[in-house]
Amino acid sequence: MTSKTKQSFRWKDFINAFGPLFGLLLVVGLFSLSADLRPVFFTGGNAKMILTQTAIVATGALGMTLVIVSGGIDLSAGSVVALSSVVAATLLIQEVPPAGVILLTILAGGFIGAINGTIVAGFRMVPFIVTLGMMGIARGVAKWLANNQTVNPSENPLNRIMEPVQPLNFWPLPIGVWITIILAVLMTFVMRYAVFGRHLFAIGSNEDTARLCGVRVRSTKIMIYTIAGFFFGLAGLLQYSRLTQGDPTVAIGLELEIIAAVVIGGASLNGGSGSIMGTMLGALIMGVLKSGSSQMNWPTYMQEIIIGIVIILAVGLDKWRQSKQQTR
Amino acid sequence: MQSRWHLLWLSLCACLISACGPSSSNIEDDTVKIAVIPKGTTHEFWRSIHAGAKKAEQELNEAGKQVEIIWKGPLKEDDRDQQIQLVENFTTRRVNGIVLAPLDAQALVRPVENAQQSGIPVVVIDSGLQSESYVSFVATDNLKGGEMAGHFMAEQLGGKGKVILLRYAVGSASTENREKGFLKALESHPEIELISSDQYAGPTRETAYQASQNLLQRFGQEVQGIFCVNENSTIGMTKALREIGRAGGAVKMIGFDAGSQSIKDMESGDVQGLVVQDPVRMGYEGVKTLMAQLDGQAVEKRLDTGVVMITPSNLNEAESQRLLNPPIEDYLGE
Repeated sequence: MTSKTKQSFRWKDFINAFGPLFGLLLVVGLFSLSADLRPVFFTGGNAKMILTQTAIVATGALGMTLVIVSGGIDLSAGSVVALSSVVAATLLIQEVPPAGVILLTILAGGFIGAINGTIVAGFRMVPFIVTLGMMGIARGVAKWLANNQTVNPSENPLNRIMEPVQPLNFWPLPIGVWITIILAVLMTFVMRYAVFGRHLFAIGSNEDTARLCGVRVRSTKIMIYTIAGFFFGLAGLLQYSRLTQGDPTVAIGLELEIIAAVVIGGASLNGGSGSIMGTMLGALIMGVLKSGSSQMNWPTYMQEIIIGIVIILAVGLDKWRQSKQQTR
Repeated sequence: MQSRWHLLWLSLCACLISACGPSSSNIEDDTVKIAVIPKGTTHEFWRSIHAGAKKAEQELNEAGKQVEIIWKGPLKEDDRDQQIQLVENFTTRRVNGIVLAPLDAQALVRPVENAQQSGIPVVVIDSGLQSESYVSFVATDNLKGGEMAGHFMAEQLGGKGKVILLRYAVGSASTENREKGFLKALESHPEIELISSDQYAGPTRETAYQASQNLLQRFGQEVQGIFCVNENSTIGMTKALREIGRAGGAVKMIGFDAGSQSIKDMESGDVQGLVVQDPVRMGYEGVKTLMAQLDGQAVEKRLDTGVVMITPSNLNEAESQRLLNPPIEDYLGE
C-alpha cells in the first residue's frame, strides 16, 4: 500500500467523522443556549444519564454498521433485542449462573443473525425482505417464550449492568457503558485494519468486484450478520438490565433508531462507507436530542419531529459530500 | 490534516470535560417544581389527573406557595423504557419532587429508588410499585372496583350466564387488581361461567378493538356479559359488540373508567355499567401529598381515592356528573 492511498483513507475518515462531530457540537450548543437548562444540562450526572440511555442503541448500532457498510440492512434488530432480553430473563429464572446467561443471550442473538446471513448469502435474497420476515419471527418467538407476559427474575448481578449508581455524579459509569465504549474501540480497529474489515468495504462498494478479487463473499456475509446478531444479543442483555425484566414488547422500532444512528454517522445505505466513530456520534446526537428536549419540557412529539429532521439533514449532507468527492 | 483532526478531538474533549465538571452554582428561583408523569397522554383519564394536579397547583399558589407542575408522559402506554428515561431526566434535572403513575410495577422500581436516593421524593399514583421506597401511594382500591363490577354483573345476569373478562396488559398492577377483584366476586356466583379470561386488550384503542373483534368472532353469539378493565378496551369492545348486533343490552357490558365515548355508549344503552374512579382527586391528592412531604409534614403511606358504580339510573345525579365530566377545562385552560 502506497502512502498516497493511506493518505486518502485518512481523508475519507476525516470527512466521515467531521459531519457527525459537528452535529453533536451543534445539538449540545443548542441546549446550552437556554439559561434555564444550562446548570442542569452540563452536569456529570446528566452526561452519565445520556451515555446510559444511549448504550443500547449504540451497541446495536455497532452491529448495524457492519451490515450497512457491507451494503445490507437488518430490520430484525429491535425484535432480536426483545427476544434476547426475554432469553436472559428466562435463563435467570432457571437459575443459570450469570456468566452462562451472558454467553447464551449473546449466542441467541448470534444464532438469529446466522440464520439471516445464511438466507441472505446462500439464497441471494434481498436483506430487507429476509430481515423484515425475521423481525416478525423473532418478535413472535419472544412473546411465545415469555408466554405473552413480562418475565421477572428475582434480584441478581445482571440487574447491576445498567444501574446508574449515584445518579447525580458522572463516576462510576455503569458497566454497560464501559462495555459499549470498549467494543466501539475494538470495532474501530477491526474495521480499519483487519482483513474482515477491509472485505466489508469491498463487498459494500462492489460485490462482484470483491468476488473477482478473491473475497469469499458468501461466508463473509454470513459472518457479518452473525456478528451483528451478537451485538443485538448484547444490546438485549443491556435492555434486560435496564428494565430488570424480560419484556417481549420492548424495543419496537428500535431497529429504525439504530439505523438512524448509523446513517446520521455518515454511512451510506448503498454500502461501502461508514465508520464506527461516526455511528457512535450519531447515536450520541440522538441521545442528547432526546434528553435535552425532554428537559426543555418540549412535548415528546417535538423530539420525534426533530430527530426526523436530523435524519433527513444527515442523509442530505451525505449526498452533498458524495457529489463533492465525485467532482474532485 | 493530522493536526486538524487532533484539534477537533481536543475541542470535543474540552466540551466533555466542561460538561462533566462541577456544575455552576444553581441559581434557581424558589419555585417548587413538581414533575407529574402519567402512563400515557392520550387517554382522557390522564387529562383528568392533569386537571387535578393543576387544581392543587392553583390552590397552593393561592395559599402563597410557589409551585410549578411539569406534566410529561410517554406517548404510548407500554413504553416502559421511555417512562424510565423521563424519571431519570427529572432526577438529574433535580426537580423538587415527582408524582408518578408507573407503567410497570417492576421496571420502574429502580428509577424510583434512584430518585429517592438522590433526595427527590416520589409519590406513586394510580398503579402500584413492587417496592416500599416511595413517599405515598395515592390510588383507587382497584380490587374493590373489580369486585364491584363482578357483583353488578351477577345482578344484571340474574346470577346465571356466560361471561368474558378482557384483560388489559401484563405488569400493570392497577388493572391486574381489577381483574383479580372481578374473578374473586364471580367465585361467589357459581352459576356464572367464565368462557374467556386470557385475552389482552393491549395499549391502544386499536389493539383493544382488534382483540375484541377476535374474541367476539369466537364467542359473540353465546356470551351474555363482558367486563373490560380500562377505558380503551371498554370503548373497543362496545364498538365490536355493535358491529355484530349484540349491543344495546343483549350482552351486559360493564366497563372501567369513563371517557366521553363510554358515556355516550351508556346513554344509548350499549353499556350497562361503568366503574368510575376519581382521577381528578388522584392528581390533586398526589401533588398535595408530595407538597406535605416537602413541607416536612407526616403523610399517609396509602390513600384510597374511591370508586363508584355508574349505571343508566344514576347517570344524571350530581355526584356522577362530577366524576364523569370533571371541570378539566377550568384547570387546563383549554
